Amino acid sequence: MLRTLALILAGGETPALSVLTAERSEAAVPFAGKYRIIDFTLSNCVNSGIFNVGVLTQYRPRSLHEHIGVGKPWDLDRRIGGVRILHPYLTSEGGFWQRGNADALRANLDFIAEQPVDVVLVLAGDHVYKMDYRPMLQLHEELGVDLTLAVHSVSPHETHRFGIVTVDADGTVSQFEEKPRRTRSSLASMGIYAFRKSFLLEVLAGGTEQNIGRDLMPKLVGQTHVASYNFQGYWADVGTVQAYYEANMALLVETPALDLYDPEWVIHTTSADLPAAEIGAAARVGGNLICDGCRIYGQVERSVISPGVYISEGAVVRDSILLNDVVVEPGAVVDRCIIDKHVRVGAEAKLGDGDDNTPNEQSPDLLNTGLTLIGKRAHIPAGAVIGRNVVVRPRVADSGLFGPEKRVPSGKTIAAR
Amino acid sequence: MIMAGGEGTRLTVLSEKRAKPSVPFAGKFRIIDFTISNCVNSGIYDVAVLTQYRPHSLNAHIGNGKPWDLDRSNGGIQLLQPYQGRGDQSWYKGTADAVYQNLNYVRERRADLVVVLSGDHIYKMDYSAMIDYHLRQRADLTVAVMHVPLEETDRFGIMTVDENQRIVEFTEKPKNRDKGTLANMGIYVFDADVLQRALSGGDSPRIDFGKHVIPSMIKSGAVYAYPFEGYWVDVGTIQSYWETSMDLLDPTNTLNLFDPTWRIHTRSEERPPAKLGPQARVSRSMICNGCTIRGTVEHSVLSPGVYVSPGAIVRDSVVMNDTWIGPGAVLDRVIVDKNVVVGAGVLLGYGDDFTTPNKEQGDKMNTGVTVVGKGAHIPAGLRVGRNVLINADRDEEHFPKDEVKSGETI
Repeated sequence: MLRTLALILAGGETPALSVLTAERSEAAVPFAGKYRIIDFTLSNCVNSGIFNVGVLTQYRPRSLHEHIGVGKPWDLDRRIGGVRILHPYLTSEGGFWQRGNADALRANLDFIAEQPVDVVLVLAGDHVYKMDYRPMLQLHEELGVDLTLAVHSVSPHETHRFGIVTVDADGTVSQFEEKPRRTRSSLASMGIYAFRKSFLLEVLAGGTEQNIGRDLMPKLVGQTHVASYNFQGYWADVGTVQAYYEANMALLVETPALDLYDPEWVIHTTSADLPAAEIGAAARVGGNLICDGCRIYGQVERSVISPGVYISEGAVVRDSILLNDVVVEPGAVVDRCIIDKHVRVGAEAKLGDGDDNTPNEQSPDLLNTGLTLIGKRAHIPAGAVIGRNVVVRPRVADSGLFGPEKRVPSGKTIAAR
Repeated sequence: MIMAGGEGTRLTVLSEKRAKPSVPFAGKFRIIDFTISNCVNSGIYDVAVLTQYRPHSLNAHIGNGKPWDLDRSNGGIQLLQPYQGRGDQSWYKGTADAVYQNLNYVRERRADLVVVLSGDHIYKMDYSAMIDYHLRQRADLTVAVMHVPLEETDRFGIMTVDENQRIVEFTEKPKNRDKGTLANMGIYVFDADVLQRALSGGDSPRIDFGKHVIPSMIKSGAVYAYPFEGYWVDVGTIQSYWETSMDLLDPTNTLNLFDPTWRIHTRSEERPPAKLGPQARVSRSMICNGCTIRGTVEHSVLSPGVYVSPGAIVRDSVVMNDTWIGPGAVLDRVIVDKNVVVGAGVLLGYGDDFTTPNKEQGDKMNTGVTVVGKGAHIPAGLRVGRNVLINADRDEEHFPKDEVKSGETI
């Protein structure tokens, strides 16, 4: 196999994930209870035999850096290769913030040049999928091309979210359109690019393109032979609140498309050291994913529960995603909510209440399906009644913000003053 | 120095292929995790584990000590197995002999104190408080003790103390209940020099701490009792293992595994979250990552990777890693080791006959708990009674056609 360096792009801001990315990059957003989104890409690398990995960060990197650490869970704590965090830095010329993912690669040209590899595999840190990169790299080698990109078919209604490619009968990419409003093809670029190292260095050094999909790809398609690799397995870009919610909920069905239980393709993560989940006498827990360290004494239905969550007796959680260490006090009801870490839901509070589906006033195009979002470390006062499409920003702890009646109608946003 | 070499015969098949400290407990832990975690939580990063009986499982579990942050370049964790020397070394004959054979390790570590611990107890204890006490008393040896009910004193080594907590008499399993109620917990803090002298000098036997070393030191040195109050159990028998596991499910239990200031660390395999199917019913139970539950689980402890099929019922039981429970099977008061396959419709722990003891091991199995060894395959539709012992790796051909009566052994 070709000697490969994997570069995972994890520096972008993802405003479409609302409070989930207020204090962390998308790659570090928890997923499926105990994982972070980047775990899928990192695990794909090591499961594909790639042990030389760089993670490019910029936006709010602290949570991601802490999660990756020295790379131990992925056996990437190595003397040769291993995982490296590549963050923007100051130079004697001043240094600069990266203005896009192509810019991010360019900022690390010297690092890439030093690596003893043939291929640079550029990956996105914010996709959920299980993929063996080896067949793609093999195709890249057999064809002897400068660039191979992975493609996946998507619904024709969603083509505006992706880079859409048109391929010839032999798989050669003939056209690349970034987020087109109208297109005849429904093959999306997965944001997975295998570059011949010398070609990548040449292209980046000689240009000023900021974004791979928007600027670089359309140009390269006309310039050189770009091959495509068709990937058939499960692949989800969870870059919006709705996509994130649906991808989590899809894990609850009898046989999910994303199989986390496959011993041949384990997804590795940094696990907290917590005891077994404790299920109380009055608990009802059918139809859920629950993790170590949970204590459940109330009723939970069709939900994804992260480690360390505490659900009191008499509380009800339905169709929701609760991230680590959330506490739901007695009598509270949580319906169709995404609740970030360390949130405390006060006794008898109602989250996601009523049938009023007024879209969120600040982002009506993103939050209009009835999901209510609670940011990290927010404190929902006891007895509060909160409607749908509501956003409570992180660290909102002052119960005065919820008004004298503690009633928040659908579509409102609550932020600290 | 953690004693982890004992055979633990009273745990029958659970400790047949592994040493007792390596027996899984509370779902994802091994028994020894409690003692090792106590060490690091007490600030002790120089730890030796003395192994002898079937050490493979224990060695694999401890590895380089990473889960306990004991993968250090200075100190860390060390496994000390019996080794061959020129004439003077042999298998460990007892706890004191095991330490004696490793005195050079104690000297090399340049320790002032040696804490001798047992690897098969379930408890949370801050050894640094005991060490402070030892230094304050200027003791040669401090022995941790705890009060036990008077009627149980004949199961323990009982310490009799004077008003200054100095131990004046030590009686192993006293028949007459007149020696007090302070039981020896098998936790000793020695002055390193004193320990060296006590183990090397004289002609009297120095095989076992409880039998030989402690009694002789009481006569000659300053030996103090350190009273411990809190949760402490020796899970040495099938009955106590089962009861202690069930106690974990009692809301009033004082062994808090969730205490963020005193974490119990363990080596965890990477497993996805537990998946509970829509028809699953779970109550008063502990469930670990990697479990898939489609049936009913009541008052039970499930280790990682257990699969409970639709229609199956698990009640008052302990089920270890990756065991598969077939559709319609009913488990009642059983301990099932790892990788067991319980066929469809099997009734395991069946009938009302709790009192017929096991015919071969009646002294160890007489309370109605049925035990299944690692890797056994129980054929579909079989009825298995109480106090039954199914040995490891038994396959379909070893079983009778439709019933294993209470007290039988396979």
